[in-house]
Amino acid sequence: MAGSVKAVLVDLSGTLHIDDDPTPGAVEALNRLKALENIRIKFVTNTTKESKRFLIARLQKIGFSVQNEEVFSSLSAARKLLDDRQLRPFFMIDKKALEDFEGISQENPNAVVIGLAPEEFYYEKMNTAMRLLRGGASLIAIHKAKYYKRNDGLALGPGPFVAALEYATDCKAEVVGKPSESFFVSSIASLGCVPSECIMVGDDVNDDIAGAQAAGMRGILVRTGKYRDGDENKISPPPFRVADNFSQAVDVIKELL
Amino acid sequence: MPNTYSYCGRIIKGVVLDITGVLKESGPNGGTAINGSIDAINRLYESGLQFRFCTNETTVTRHHLVNQLRRLGFTIEEDKVFSPIPAVCQILKERNLRPHLLVHKDSLPDFKDVDKNDPNCVVIGDATNEFSYDNLNKAFRCLMEIEQPVLFSLGSGRYYQEDGELVLDVGPYMKALEYATDVKAEVVGKPSLSFFTAVLKDMNVLPNEAVMVGDDIVSDIGGAQACGLAGVLVRTGKFRSRDESHPDVKPDDIVDNLAQFVDKLLQHSL
Repeated sequence: MAGSVKAVLVDLSGTLHIDDDPTPGAVEALNRLKALENIRIKFVTNTTKESKRFLIARLQKIGFSVQNEEVFSSLSAARKLLDDRQLRPFFMIDKKALEDFEGISQENPNAVVIGLAPEEFYYEKMNTAMRLLRGGASLIAIHKAKYYKRNDGLALGPGPFVAALEYATDCKAEVVGKPSESFFVSSIASLGCVPSECIMVGDDVNDDIAGAQAAGMRGILVRTGKYRDGDENKISPPPFRVADNFSQAVDVIKELL
Repeated sequence: MPNTYSYCGRIIKGVVLDITGVLKESGPNGGTAINGSIDAINRLYESGLQFRFCTNETTVTRHHLVNQLRRLGFTIEEDKVFSPIPAVCQILKERNLRPHLLVHKDSLPDFKDVDKNDPNCVVIGDATNEFSYDNLNKAFRCLMEIEQPVLFSLGSGRYYQEDGELVLDVGPYMKALEYATDVKAEVVGKPSLSFFTAVLKDMNVLPNEAVMVGDDIVSDIGGAQACGLAGVLVRTGKFRSRDESHPDVKPDDIVDNLAQFVDKLLQHSL
């Protein structure tokens, strides 16, 4: 296989762990991956309310060895975008996520940042967001999921509220999480490598694999988490490789070196 | 008495007027009359022209809306007012549908004769503060549970002016439910063809003999033009200067307010 491997991007939920359990052999597999020379690791995840600190604490509790700078979430991507463009956000995100945005000025906002935050989506706040957007503010969506599963049944995700504001203002939201190309490109910005030198390992054939491959990376789809039979046939080009689980994906990566 | 006039290159026999933003500005206690509009309506009565009021207002009952306008000084009869709630109630009856309602509580009396048990469709109106996450979620779940989901939206406007500020109309929330459920809403009210057609039929005039006056460049002007009426934009209500150079909709005329429209219309009687 042509092309060296300098970085491995790893999805969290469904790939490295499921709830509080590692996928088979994952703890030991991560150690094997980390023992490889000249391989950098990034944990990449779509989240709108779990701060970096929270994500790291959970991974460490499960038994994974993780450093702060190794985690890149959709919140990190939003933060990077705000910093790069010097935007002052008006937040419609969960209060727990705010700690990832510490130090950013929210005065005289020129960007509306939306995540999953049911308690923020009330009429008056939506009106304020609409007026800011009509006044020229940028619309930034952490992600655009339609709905999610809650203990008491299905519940609306941030997507419908993003769609509402897009319709009201003729703005097009910039989606910063997976599967956007910019997410994958931003996640490796500090690593000094190019997309073709990166491998993405994940269980979501669209968000993880198609997204990373569109950004120029190679994707290894794992058959854990949300994987369903035949998922590898749903995208074109297909995943670079398919592995039973994260541990086997590490074996595949080792063979590439 | 002449009852046809020449305007916008047409012979005009019928006039369709939007209410909020044309007759009155919205605000507490029914809002305030726009300067010259009360007199303009009286001059329309004297002109012998046919005219109807066509509103997407769903935050109050039609009866209450007419009373508000009368209190402001307008001469107006309820049977001249076309609004989406009576229209959707008719559709529900014809199609044997029982709605889950996400509407303003002040409009509920207009739904009193509708069977709302065991809902098999969702009706969404301008619910203002009742557009909470929980209420929207209830409508969403209802649509997800129905085998053949039907979503009615009372208008599709994007925003309107309230107390000097723009606020979201029903349209964005219709879009939110469409995005979440992949159900395409059926719009009842402006700018739907069937709504304008019902108004024209009531006046017994053809589309090319009618003119619509409104403050919403897309719903009023674009909607009316798509149905064959002339569309005249007023610079009151939610009007913003950028509407004059809208990329898709070119009004047949733009006037400062309703009074100026009536001046221009009545200038050339036939």
